[in-house]
Amino acid sequence: MLRRIAGSLFWAARYLERAQWRARLVDVNYHLLLEVPPRDADPWEPLVRITAEHDLFAAKHSHAGETAVIDFFVFDREHRSSIRSCIEAVRANLSPLRHLISSELWLAVNRLYLEVQGWSAQTLAAGGVSNFFTELKRHFFMLEGIVAHTMPRDLTYDVIELGTMLERLDNVSRLLDVKYHYLLPRLEDIGGPADLRQWAAVLRSASAFEAFRRCYGNAIRVNRVVAILVFDPEFPRSMRFCIERAAQALERISVRQESSAPSAAAPCAELLAILGRGDADTTIESGLHEFLIDAERRCAQLADRVFDRYMALE
Amino acid sequence: MDAQRAGSAVPGLQATTAEPQPLNEMFDAQGRSRPECARVIAYLLALGPGRLAELGERAHRMFRTMGVTFKVYGDHEGGERIFPFDPIPRIIAAPVWAELEAGLIQRARALNAFVADIYAEAQIVRDGVVPRDLIVGSPQFRHAATGILPPGGVYITVAGIDLVRGADSRFHVLEDNVRTPSGVSYVIENRRIMTRLMPELIRGLRVSSVENYPAYLLAALREIAPSGIGDPTVALLTPGPFNSAFFEHVFLSQQMGIELVEGRDLVCVDHKLFMKTVYGLKRVDVLYRRIDDDFLDPVVFRPDSMLGVAGLTAVLRAGNATLANAIGTGVADDKAVYAYTPAMIRYYLGESALLPIVETHLLRDPDVRQTVLRDLDRYVVKPTGASGGYGVVIGPRATDEELAQARKRIEAAPAGFIAQPLFPLSVHPTLTGETVDGKPAMASRHVDLRPFVLLGAKPRVLAGGLTRVALREGSLIVNSSQGGGSKDTWVLEE
Repeated sequence: MLRRIAGSLFWAARYLERAQWRARLVDVNYHLLLEVPPRDADPWEPLVRITAEHDLFAAKHSHAGETAVIDFFVFDREHRSSIRSCIEAVRANLSPLRHLISSELWLAVNRLYLEVQGWSAQTLAAGGVSNFFTELKRHFFMLEGIVAHTMPRDLTYDVIELGTMLERLDNVSRLLDVKYHYLLPRLEDIGGPADLRQWAAVLRSASAFEAFRRCYGNAIRVNRVVAILVFDPEFPRSMRFCIERAAQALERISVRQESSAPSAAAPCAELLAILGRGDADTTIESGLHEFLIDAERRCAQLADRVFDRYMALE
Repeated sequence: MDAQRAGSAVPGLQATTAEPQPLNEMFDAQGRSRPECARVIAYLLALGPGRLAELGERAHRMFRTMGVTFKVYGDHEGGERIFPFDPIPRIIAAPVWAELEAGLIQRARALNAFVADIYAEAQIVRDGVVPRDLIVGSPQFRHAATGILPPGGVYITVAGIDLVRGADSRFHVLEDNVRTPSGVSYVIENRRIMTRLMPELIRGLRVSSVENYPAYLLAALREIAPSGIGDPTVALLTPGPFNSAFFEHVFLSQQMGIELVEGRDLVCVDHKLFMKTVYGLKRVDVLYRRIDDDFLDPVVFRPDSMLGVAGLTAVLRAGNATLANAIGTGVADDKAVYAYTPAMIRYYLGESALLPIVETHLLRDPDVRQTVLRDLDRYVVKPTGASGGYGVVIGPRATDEELAQARKRIEAAPAGFIAQPLFPLSVHPTLTGETVDGKPAMASRHVDLRPFVLLGAKPRVLAGGLTRVALREGSLIVNSSQGGGSKDTWVLEE
């Protein structure tokens, strides 16, 4: 496989995963606010903080209201991580490597892309926000299913897996951090009804609500949410699960290689160790925010190493 | 079936009265269907124009869903468009195709021999058959090509030869494309669509398959690998996603199972060509390039080119890789050289040309120029170096101002132009996209044909080729960049 093509594949996987998280966040926040009238001035503000692009948002919008945030997250062409931009990036990256992916995957991506081309703010108004995201989620689950069930477990699959898992790890971390660090900074609110609703929303964003109920019981507590989303070895949207899958993909990639040059495994092993041996209570005690920032930094470092080792042209 | 009724029941399925009278490929001058088209016409009549237009729309949707598109230059959106597709097929009878095929192979072999000669002893020039200044003055002549000897003497691996059918029903060569001819992916995709739109008709008619083209092309490319390589690695070099033919590059590499590379994926080390893979450098033996000579190698050609790879020419000269088509083949498809192609065929093959060419006047000759300029409104003027229909002035249809401008351009650089009489391109029933009395309208539209010839250890020809249709009424320009569309071309087997 060409290095450039491996890079395109890696980024296609990342953008697909990112689009999915953006959709999850907006959807869950929208429904959360339907039930409870917002007390805070800007209940949409935290979503903007999750992305690394709140400067761009501030330059375009004076106030983080529902319309502005949804427009920024879903439709904005100048915002590289808007759902529209992500989906266009997925297609642009996959287009020259159609020979590596199943025709089912290409057709499904192209169909989604064509749908996105027809999007406008009216699309949302006409069909309703709820329908819009339900439909979008269906697309994403279908794409994941097609990848899982039509692609041979070769280098192509491993690169997709690596990109998906690193992007997911990063998104889970940001989601947790925003809730923990930015929302409800007042101590007296912790454990109150608003706090619990927000934690439930976090779980829903990660499709973790039912899994949480089943494994951790009915009571939502911050240490249990951290346990499932950071340290759980079995839940497919926990940071630990992501790094383990990424490490396995990396291992398969490097085993296939004939030469004995060192792989990008060092930062990967560190993340594996941190997420593998840690526990929720100790982490919260010593600072969840710092822990998450550190994990995100290591994850970015790992992605850079992987890119340099297998994908960079110079 | 009642041919007369056929002529009147469906508007457009009848001979046109435009001047000069072109050949209608489905109906004779009396409005009777031509024998090879009878079954298709009967099928289309049974279908009716409404249903036919529905099939056309379905085809359009299928192209869109599959992402079969071309990029438009100068479109700021980086716009992708669908090459308009007309669902009424164009039929070529078996004996007609057999003659064409022989003529195409003859022509490709002669053009190849010409390129080989030009970059060696240029014997054809020494013998006075082709004037020297025509060659050295050609913008497509490449000094760098001398001294590179491609395996098997194959310079032109892929040729696209544009044909037009005259009022006498003979196919004439309009121009040769022996640099990086494109369009073959549409031939294959058009057929795939048609087998889904009209399966029962295709099966009943014994239509020659076009599905084998990628296999033919890969075989030809492998045959011209440097000698001694058992299992050569072939790659396709594309300028990238912004090129108008990028879809075709993706399509062909996918169908042949080879890597689609950009210049930055390649590197030359020790006079050998490599591509940069995840696991290190991998040797490339044959490079099927879809970028122009000028951009191939910044060391030899344009130094600012980011599309090629530095050192490629030296690799070729060392015989460590083969480039298809070879550098400098454009010297053979120059529109002025075209006038000498019948002489070329006689010179190299000792045969007379099986395919006639269109009468061509070289404006570099002062006497000829004077004659042509006197009646400029009777000629079609073409710049010798351009392709894609750009810069063509059709005298009989041009305004006085356009003619005056053309005259000025010719006088400034006479060697850069040729003139031909207006050739009456044949017409074919086509959906116009408009409606008459609430029904989709059909009318005669001009068509040409671009067959593809491959030279490797032996010649191979794709059955049929790309039929391009000028969708605007009366238009003679069929190029996709100028509002042309395409039709599926059915070569019927005996």
